[in-house]
Amino acid sequence: MRQRPVIDVSGLPTTAFGHRDPLWWGVVGIMCIEGTMFAIMAASYFYLRGGAQLWPPPGTLHPGIGITTLNLLILLASIYPMHQAAQAAEREDLPAIRRWLIVATVLIVAFLIVRFLILNRLTFRWDSHAYGSLVWLTAGLHTLHVITGIIENLLFITLLTKGPVEDKHMDDLRLNSMYWYFVVACWVPFYCIFFLDPRLLHASIG
Amino acid sequence: MSADPIDAGSLAEELDNLERRQLERTWQYASGLWGWVAEVDHQRIGVRYIVTALIFFALGGIEALMIRVQLAKPENGFLNPDLYNQVFTTHGTTMMFLFAVPVMLGLGVYLVPLMVGTRNLAFPRLNAYSYYVYLIGGLFLYAGFFLKAGPDAGWFSYVPLSGPAFSPGKRVDIWCQMVTFTEISSMAVAVNLITTAFKQRAPGMSLNRIPIYVWAMVVTSFMVIFAMPAVALASQMLPLDRLIDTHFFNPAEGGDALLWQHLFWFFGHPEVYIIFIPATGIVSTILAPFTRREVFGYLALILSLVATGFIGFGLWVHHMFATGLPQLGQSFFTAASIMIAVPSGIQMFCWIATLWGGRLRFQPPLLYVLGFILTFMIGGLTGVMLAAVPLDLQVHDTFFVVAHFHYVLIGGAVFPLLGGLYYWFPKMTGRMPSRKLGHLSFWLVFLGFQVTFFPQHILGLQGMPRRVYTYLPETGWGDLNLLSTVGAFILGLGVLVYVINLVASRVAGAPAGDDPWESDTLEWATSSPPPPYNFHPMPTVSHRAPLWHRSEDQPVITGLRSDRREFLMTGLMDAEPDHRQVSPGPTMMPFFLSIGTGITFILGIFTPWALPIGAVPVAASLIGWFWPRGDQGHKILKEKS
Repeated sequence: MRQRPVIDVSGLPTTAFGHRDPLWWGVVGIMCIEGTMFAIMAASYFYLRGGAQLWPPPGTLHPGIGITTLNLLILLASIYPMHQAAQAAEREDLPAIRRWLIVATVLIVAFLIVRFLILNRLTFRWDSHAYGSLVWLTAGLHTLHVITGIIENLLFITLLTKGPVEDKHMDDLRLNSMYWYFVVACWVPFYCIFFLDPRLLHASIG
Repeated sequence: MSADPIDAGSLAEELDNLERRQLERTWQYASGLWGWVAEVDHQRIGVRYIVTALIFFALGGIEALMIRVQLAKPENGFLNPDLYNQVFTTHGTTMMFLFAVPVMLGLGVYLVPLMVGTRNLAFPRLNAYSYYVYLIGGLFLYAGFFLKAGPDAGWFSYVPLSGPAFSPGKRVDIWCQMVTFTEISSMAVAVNLITTAFKQRAPGMSLNRIPIYVWAMVVTSFMVIFAMPAVALASQMLPLDRLIDTHFFNPAEGGDALLWQHLFWFFGHPEVYIIFIPATGIVSTILAPFTRREVFGYLALILSLVATGFIGFGLWVHHMFATGLPQLGQSFFTAASIMIAVPSGIQMFCWIATLWGGRLRFQPPLLYVLGFILTFMIGGLTGVMLAAVPLDLQVHDTFFVVAHFHYVLIGGAVFPLLGGLYYWFPKMTGRMPSRKLGHLSFWLVFLGFQVTFFPQHILGLQGMPRRVYTYLPETGWGDLNLLSTVGAFILGLGVLVYVINLVASRVAGAPAGDDPWESDTLEWATSSPPPPYNFHPMPTVSHRAPLWHRSEDQPVITGLRSDRREFLMTGLMDAEPDHRQVSPGPTMMPFFLSIGTGITFILGIFTPWALPIGAVPVAASLIGWFWPRGDQGHKILKEKS
């Protein structure tokens, strides 16, 4: 029998980082899908705004440029510990990952609390007018992502505490951080659209 | 003992058999009812997708016949107006959301891993989840239909008709959530197919050697990812308008009814290409073995697919010419709509060139391709006509449009699909379909189709509007409508013969062997049906038509472990071996997650509390899904003290 030439792959690793990992493609796919959803929310906002006589509707007050900006800063700040956690995952430094994840989660929970305070200060509801529907749906969608992010972090913290931690989880942790940057990035344009609206800035409740 | 010299050849063979048996054990299908539900194999799930979609095709077909019976003569009383509305809405909805897209994606689920030479999709559990969510969506729509709550606002459910003021009850909500289910399912499949096609190709299958069908599925998947979020979002906004009084589509409170049309068609037009592009992939695949030559113009075909994918996003507004657009908008979308004929034309010429130089084998798959070329050309030409605003305004909402889109959807997608299913049937079942019944069903389908839909062009030009449940005798539309109805029954008979052929051949067809058509792509390199691990040994590729250019010393892959579900990951560009991954085995979690998803959206048409209630099973099954099982042979990390 003729011996066939072979490519022996038994020496190849069983984990890979970055775009070599299929899960990276999965997460990027989800980001594309959800990014498109947020983009469509923004497009809907401007479509309705373009056709409106008065926008935002009369009587709409800004919930406060201070508190909304503060919350954006908290959200942006959460990137730093998430990034540190990802870096620690690359070094397989388990205590450092856990430490940075806890810091990040505290910041994200603080963001969530302030987000509820802001929503509480809105002078309109989702059923007041189309402007209200858009603001509430966008904020609701984003809040859902934030809550998911918190749950994911808590699960990782539990896993890191209880074990067993596998080398594959190091890449999962990095992807978790990557996805979080995406959740943060999604809110920045909506902060500008909703809270830097020149027609609202002069009519603030705070 | 000393009598037998050690034979290296038989020893290697023995080792090979041992490994094959080990692979059988590792990859064996789960058994029993729970095993059936927990299955994550792409072949099994792909076939389930196809069979489920064909059942919905049959239901949609019965609804089509009901419509044709009602319209066969003036002032007919077969269906009352309300039932007629439900039937034509359910027909369109079924065909688009429950048949056309799922069957194309399901065929991709079955074929893509085989064609790129890997063992399963990148995310097998996600694949199982996609199927169950789709199934729940379909069952939900038909549960509504049989409980006299079938949607009745048309397959695109325009507001304000579908809004809270004009469509009380739950009919439209059922439609919306069915859309949500199918879109979630399709988007998940798209991510799965892209990852598999990009990262799991057999070594040597560089980008310029990927089979055209796989390219078609990649382009389709990208379109799914960027088009479907629009309707998935809109299909939440409309129920919110109806349930908790938001005002997205309510002009009285700053909303806009046209916003719905934009969101719907931003999805709806790419949707047409999401159905059509896989069909072109099927055509290019079938042509090679039945003309006995490689398809002409590989690069031109791939670039045309990609161009179609991009341009397909730039012409949704041509569905809205009658809503009053600025002149520049009209011109832009007219130009874009005409422009998309260019890549389609390039593909058409490549196919004709392939046929020109080939030695044709007139078997059913090729007949369907030829039927496709003729029928799709007619549909494409009426498409170019409709892209012109003045003509569009004349025939808007008439049967001319109905004829046009049935020419492009049945001619452009269903014909290639029927040819493709016939072509891959031996691979899926190991048995040959009957050629005689194949020919008979083709001619019945092809002629029945032309008799049904060609007269509708004329009816449309005569002014017969679509979606009316009857018409007066004085209109003079009776004869052509009767002809169309006769054609519909011939077409239905053809599909019936097709199905009988497949069912009978499944039981009693002649054994097919590995490669009955002498084809060129990798799925024919393994047995029919393929084993659950797809290939052994794992193949490599050194040509675009790997089976026609196998060299004597074509290398094979060794070193993948057979005692766990391992497969090879390769590089994006040149498919060089990169690392090994372990694929998960059967699990119930995707099924539980789909139940959680189902609870959330179905309860969501009654109360907004569905979100927190549904979140509990969703979160629980996701945690169960991702919780480490420690059985994948990964290195355990310890804290460094």
